[in-house]
Amino acid sequence: MSPWSDPLSVVFILSSLMAVIAAILIVHHRSIVYSAFFLSILGVGNAILFTLLGFPIIALFHLSVYVGAAVTFILFSVVMLKEAPVVEPPVKALAVIAAGVLALIMMKIFSVFTAEPSFFLNYRDLTALLVTKYWFALIVAAIALVTTLIEAITLARREV
Amino acid sequence: MEAAWFLYVSAILFAIGIYGLLTRRNMIRMLLSAEIIFNAALLAFLSLASLDAGYGPVGGAIVVIAISLSAAEVGVIVSIAIMMFRMRRALDVYELRKFKG
Repeated sequence: MSPWSDPLSVVFILSSLMAVIAAILIVHHRSIVYSAFFLSILGVGNAILFTLLGFPIIALFHLSVYVGAAVTFILFSVVMLKEAPVVEPPVKALAVIAAGVLALIMMKIFSVFTAEPSFFLNYRDLTALLVTKYWFALIVAAIALVTTLIEAITLARREV
Repeated sequence: MEAAWFLYVSAILFAIGIYGLLTRRNMIRMLLSAEIIFNAALLAFLSLASLDAGYGPVGGAIVVIAISLSAAEVGVIVSIAIMMFRMRRALDVYELRKFKG
């Protein structure tokens, strides 16, 4: 059966392509501002993949906190910086070989997971787990997010 | 759709991130490459968590906390980059050596 006949497969192929092309553009685009913009596209592609895996709540959280806050923070901060030319290390060929070998090894390891995801995250289960078992980690994460807010205010007031 | 396909996408994203980290010296570009690796790790984590109904909610909870901490980490690194740019007018990570006390 062709993968194009199944709507979910089509969504998977399109979102995967979107994520991979965005990742390549993040690394290769000449402007850092556009690279940061493509990171948000990668985040959107990843969120679609999370939904396909049965985690729509996580996808929404990824979109709101990661794409909506973190990547936007990078994007607006990068605008404040002048793009100074940096001499890049001449290891491109070596890096391509290393990354290619790494990808092949990981694909070989991952090829054993032939089962299909048959899970749908219930938000009640998630919140119950976060509040009862992982409450301390949740508090630490909340405090860490507040520090980001303080950093943003300090940068905006130019106190450093 | 097998979970292996999601994991293959994660492996490709991971490799692209590693390539970016190895070939760039600009601090913001290195941060963006590290964020690609972070996205790949999240995808691999959720792909594996989705295979078992017992691990699914645990995987979701850990990913929620990881995304929050990543947002904080981004804030810290961007702040360091902006401070460095104001003091040195450069974003070259090799310049960071000169900040040694």
